[in-house]
Amino acid sequence: MVRKQAILDVLLTIPDPEMPISIVDLGIVETVDVQDSNVHVDLLPTFIGCLALPAIADEVKSKVGAIDGIEQVTVDYIYDPPWSTDRMTEQGKSDLAAMGIAVPDGACCGGSNETQVELQTSAIKCPWCESEDTAYTSAFGPTRCRSIHYCNACRQPFERMKQV
Amino acid sequence: MSTFNEATQQAAINLCLSIADDKLFLGHRNSNWTGIAPILEADIAFSSLAQDDIAHASAIYELVGSLMGDSADDIAYGRKPDAYLCADIVTKDDGFDWANAIARQFYCNHFDLLRFERLSNSSWSELAALCKRLVVEQHIQVNHINDWVMQLATGTTESKEKIAHALNEYANEASMMFETPYGFELLIEDGIVNSSSDIFDAWHKRVSEQFNRAGIEIEVKQRSVDAQGGRSGIHSEDFNESLRELQAVYREDPTAAW
Repeated sequence: MVRKQAILDVLLTIPDPEMPISIVDLGIVETVDVQDSNVHVDLLPTFIGCLALPAIADEVKSKVGAIDGIEQVTVDYIYDPPWSTDRMTEQGKSDLAAMGIAVPDGACCGGSNETQVELQTSAIKCPWCESEDTAYTSAFGPTRCRSIHYCNACRQPFERMKQV
Repeated sequence: MSTFNEATQQAAINLCLSIADDKLFLGHRNSNWTGIAPILEADIAFSSLAQDDIAHASAIYELVGSLMGDSADDIAYGRKPDAYLCADIVTKDDGFDWANAIARQFYCNHFDLLRFERLSNSSWSELAALCKRLVVEQHIQVNHINDWVMQLATGTTESKEKIAHALNEYANEASMMFETPYGFELLIEDGIVNSSSDIFDAWHKRVSEQFNRAGIEIEVKQRSVDAQGGRSGIHSEDFNESLRELQAVYREDPTAAW
């Protein structure tokens, strides 16, 4: 019998292909179900159009499948609950900040019909120098989950996880 | 997985196709702007919007594929013209005029957000779950396009004239988004769609708020109740041209992986 913890430990070693953060710290692992030698993992897409989704699913299948005693691994992307930045761990937030990607504090979402996406906020802190004298450049950055900003204090562009 | 009786199932398929076809063709039209949008940020944004829209379409095709027994690709690319149920605003040629692209996107994004909000409460649980996620992403599109309408309307005299002209130009097609696909009443009876008699008014209120904010006057009239168009499979020449382009690769080799 494979212990669930052994699987979670392996998932923690799988990074997002586009950011230096584990998929567990990113908060996209929703459920891990172990039935004898079969494992099923439900993941949440950060954004439905994220091009990294198939690569992440393949990596989960191959790494979890390599654990002794596991025969079959299935992976599904599910939509409910919707992923939000609130699901990221403190470790994940600090890993991203170290790479110049800011992460909002807490999510803004309430119930399904109250969901708001906040794009232009005051006081977005620069992940490089922590100044709040920053400007919002664009909602659309290098990946679907990040926006682009500029710090007037240290004159560096930076990115931020979209607050969803 | 949800199961429906035959008539309701066909109606549910029609509903999903009408939404996914809107998204697929809008994304396709917007992808034409990749590389040539007026500024770099707009270029990245429109490419991202196209990526989102086509991915959203794909997720809905996969859902409806479970009812139709077909793959998402075959549904997206393999149908005859009159089996596509998109509203013709999504394929209306923008003539590479930026104001036209913004106007088209503006009307469509507000409509998508509204219908996803409402479908989040659908009795069809798989559709409701997907729509909850789509609402979050659709908000980003709406915020972005509201900003563009505002920018153009409060920019120069020329930009204001252009966006007002474009919004008027697309108003008639916008009203045709509200045509309902065949069998829609059955979906209301089964709670798959909540009563939607007020959806035009709700949408009109939201777009009018943006017109007021931007200081422009645009009249969008409700379509006459018997007006038929894209949702009934009756399409414009612009649609046919888009479809030919979209299906070109699939027709060469339906089994190609891409």
